[in-house]
Amino acid sequence: MDQGSRDQTQDNIAVRVDGLVRTFGDFIAVDHINLNVRAGEIFGFLGPNGAGKSTTIKMLCGLLMPTSGNGNVGGYDIITQSEEIKQNIGYMSQRFSLYDDLTVEENINFFSGIYSVPDNRKQARKEWVLNMAGLREDRSTPTRTLPGGFKQRLALGCAILHEPRILFLDEPTSGVDPISRRNFWDMISDMARSGTTVFVTTHYMDEADYCDRLALIYRGKIIADGTPAELRKDFMTRDVLEIEAEPLMTALDVLEKQGIEAAIFGSLLHAIVENASQAIPLIRSTLTGSNIVVHRVDKIVASLEDVFVTLIETS
Amino acid sequence: MKLLRIKAIAKKEIIQVRRDPLSLAMAFIMPVLLLVLFGYAITLDVNNLTTIVYDADRSSISRELIAELTSSGYFTIVRNAEREKEIDDYLDAGTARVAVSIPSDFSRVIRTEGVAQLQIIVDGSDSNTATIALGYLAALTEIANQRLAGARSALLIEPRVRVWYNPELKSRNFIIPGLIAVIMMVIAALLTSLTFAREWERGTMEQLIATPVQPSELVLGKLIPYFLIGFTDMVITVLMAVFLFEVPLKGNVFILGVVSSVFLFGALGLGIVISIVAKSQLVASQIAMVATFLPAFLLSGFMFAISNMPLPLQLFSRLIPARYFVSVLKGIFLKGNPIRLLVVDAIFLLIFAVIVVAVANKKLNKYIE
Amino acid sequence: MQISFERIRQMVIKEFIQVLRDKRMKAIVFVVPVLQTLVFGFAVTTDVSSIPTAVMDLDRSYESRELVRRFTASGYFLIKALPGSPAEVQEVLDRSEVTVVLQINRGFSSDLKRGIRTAVQVIADGTESNTATVALDYTTRIIQKYSLDIAGQSARTSARIDVRQRAWYNPELKSKNYNVPGVIAMVIMLTSLLLTSMAVVREREIGTMEQLMVTPLRPLELILGKTIPFALIGFFDMVLITALGVLIFSIPINGPLWLLPLSTAIYLLSVLGIGLFISTIAMTQQQALMASFLFYMPAILLSGFMFPIENMPILFQYLTYANPLRYFLVIIRGIFLKGNGFNILWPQLSALLILGAVVITLSSIRFRKRLS
Repeated sequence: MDQGSRDQTQDNIAVRVDGLVRTFGDFIAVDHINLNVRAGEIFGFLGPNGAGKSTTIKMLCGLLMPTSGNGNVGGYDIITQSEEIKQNIGYMSQRFSLYDDLTVEENINFFSGIYSVPDNRKQARKEWVLNMAGLREDRSTPTRTLPGGFKQRLALGCAILHEPRILFLDEPTSGVDPISRRNFWDMISDMARSGTTVFVTTHYMDEADYCDRLALIYRGKIIADGTPAELRKDFMTRDVLEIEAEPLMTALDVLEKQGIEAAIFGSLLHAIVENASQAIPLIRSTLTGSNIVVHRVDKIVASLEDVFVTLIETS
Repeated sequence: MKLLRIKAIAKKEIIQVRRDPLSLAMAFIMPVLLLVLFGYAITLDVNNLTTIVYDADRSSISRELIAELTSSGYFTIVRNAEREKEIDDYLDAGTARVAVSIPSDFSRVIRTEGVAQLQIIVDGSDSNTATIALGYLAALTEIANQRLAGARSALLIEPRVRVWYNPELKSRNFIIPGLIAVIMMVIAALLTSLTFAREWERGTMEQLIATPVQPSELVLGKLIPYFLIGFTDMVITVLMAVFLFEVPLKGNVFILGVVSSVFLFGALGLGIVISIVAKSQLVASQIAMVATFLPAFLLSGFMFAISNMPLPLQLFSRLIPARYFVSVLKGIFLKGNPIRLLVVDAIFLLIFAVIVVAVANKKLNKYIE
Repeated sequence: MQISFERIRQMVIKEFIQVLRDKRMKAIVFVVPVLQTLVFGFAVTTDVSSIPTAVMDLDRSYESRELVRRFTASGYFLIKALPGSPAEVQEVLDRSEVTVVLQINRGFSSDLKRGIRTAVQVIADGTESNTATVALDYTTRIIQKYSLDIAGQSARTSARIDVRQRAWYNPELKSKNYNVPGVIAMVIMLTSLLLTSMAVVREREIGTMEQLMVTPLRPLELILGKTIPFALIGFFDMVLITALGVLIFSIPINGPLWLLPLSTAIYLLSVLGIGLFISTIAMTQQQALMASFLFYMPAILLSGFMFPIENMPILFQYLTYANPLRYFLVIIRGIFLKGNGFNILWPQLSALLILGAVVITLSSIRFRKRLS
């Protein structure tokens, strides 16, 4: 372990980012973000598509040069030491990026060679990945024919054959069925528990609770960060109401005209108020007074999606 | 540079190549196809010239002349015209390429020791054939003249002609050795020009550059399987050339193998550079056609003599590796040249290969943009 | 079975955007035909001139020098070396520095003066058999003429045949007039064929083909959407090359101009049809590229583009009847050089039309089947 990485682990910071900026022509994809990811934690990077998540993770992995700012991954500088970073991390790209025309086993062998897994560990690691991905019986199956969930796990496995300390996953659960998503997060938790730092990007808000800490990114800027509990606490002072009413859009208009923060959640409305018991009757009467049919108005526990939507609306 | 990683890349590439039997089959059919086309179908020899003859004289002398035309074997008379106008029709329609018109006073003038006019019209649109046709006709006329002049006109100066290396002037021997260069260039281009572009398009390239693998390892690892295919193609081509087409191989086979390998490396490297730079298979294929096949085919001296080209193109051809390889091939096959005479060309090929592989390394940076 | 022109239009636009979005592609569509025209116009010439020659004049007399002068004055020979011994002659031929060696031995002039028959050695490098054949022909003629001239007027007193020769359509017998119109055929074949086959297969490879299949898009619309852009590019190339040919190479256009786009359109039917066909057998772009090339090579070589069909073995001559390029070349050269009009070219046009219709119908049927 060289000087650089030892300092980092003394602080316990695995990934540090300082004022990172990346522009593409006139478009600012990543706008002065700062991050600190502690070793061994699962760090979630949440945001809608196009917010800058992928761009950020690619800069951290040494795939893109930042326009300005700097960062450290595992003690190595992302601008000047990208090769060292690549030797010490695992990366799973958005498209899973396995070789479709190779079998499961051939893909594992390939990445084993690429990551220079030592000979005496090769077989053990291969069996471990096959086991983890549930593909022990399918090692000779062409990757092309695997269902999405298995491809995802195989891709994850291939990214950690060399047991890296830090793992970067770019939208690993995109387009995968919910059950597979759950299983996947179980695997990630296991990894974190054994000391691996996991940096994950996702646009699924409900996955936020699997993370130790989060950063919410919108339009290239970080609009909030902290643990899921901390983020919710910010809004504990305020209550969230769930409203079922028709017509939905008119109801939204009416509420907004009254100065009430509200947003559409599926086929329902969520409204953020100071005090639920006071607000509920007020809202009922306002809506009914405008000839809107109100089915129910309930107080609910704030989800991170609520937090996020609010933050976006106010930014 | 780690051997382990190169092996991993090469192994993966080999697996992928094996799983695409269609491409592999085409890679082996290609040289055979080209050899058959160039060995059997294509010939630069000109004969069977479609001719229309208008004999207004119809004398024994004119008929003798026409008979000589036919017996030369070069001209095939498709029509004995009844009216002069037919010449226009036949040439316009392309039914005849040559027209010979004998005026009505032909035999009379000859008999009175005068100078008789023989009208010859050729279809100039195919200038090569036309030039050769005119040459044949001029030669035939000279022979006729000598006969008319009798023994008195035995030539004072007799040209004694010897043809070296390819005594029967077989165009096959001329074309096939150089063809090997074209074949290898084409195979190299077709196989390697898409390889990196394909990985970019499929997204696997992005995954690769996030790993510790080095550009040089990627380039070498990918070169290996295609080198094996290209070399096999070369062996097939040489075997067919020697045993099927009976092209002489007077020089050293081992040297042939070595120089071919160097050339192959350079050609494959060029394909790889195109593949790295293009990032899209569509673009790569177009660039490959223009940058590899066309120069090898047109400017290497394989078929069209460089000395005939305008000076700027002659100079440009010095940048084309195929030019040097064609020279070596002709030297080894037909002239049996020793190393001493091949070494300069071989060094150029080596320099090209080194430069190209270096460029590939440099251009393959491990960044997305 | 309603065909929606709007959907076709959208597909064509999308295809254009995709293909031309890449700056390099835009350049290629323009540069490739230009490069090919220039190279074919300038480089590909079977006209023989400046044949590298070596002269070993051991006689060094007035007569020997005069003979050599005639060689250079003809314009066909370019003296590159003056070897002094047989060993040097060997070297110069082994190195391929010259194609012809002229060797005049001592005693040449004295023999001539005494009216004794003398010989001149001519050695040709047979590896360049094409050049060598022509070179030998010229050599013989120059020597013969010199021979006659020296013999004086005596040969003229008897009857002789004088040849008046003319070359029609291309009076100066310039190769470029023959080659450049043919380049139109070649470039269209290369570009449109390759682009069509690869563009279709690319969708299959990337996976967007499935996407398209789920839409209301009909197979015929897909076919049209995929082929029309490349037909347009083919037309563009035709105009570009014609302009280059006329402006830079002074190629004449003696025939009716309107026949050019018409025949190009008919030719494109075949080219695009073949591109479509290839797209039904290729699963990857790699396969499409190789298959296109496998078709392209014989098509070019067996078309009469550089090598006259009449000189090929009969079997191959029959094969050329199935080659659209064969007919198109006759048409193109007919229009440019011979001033041929519809009245003369209708057999080729019909053949091309029938061939094109058959090819594109069969390919479309196969394409449709593959989609479902």
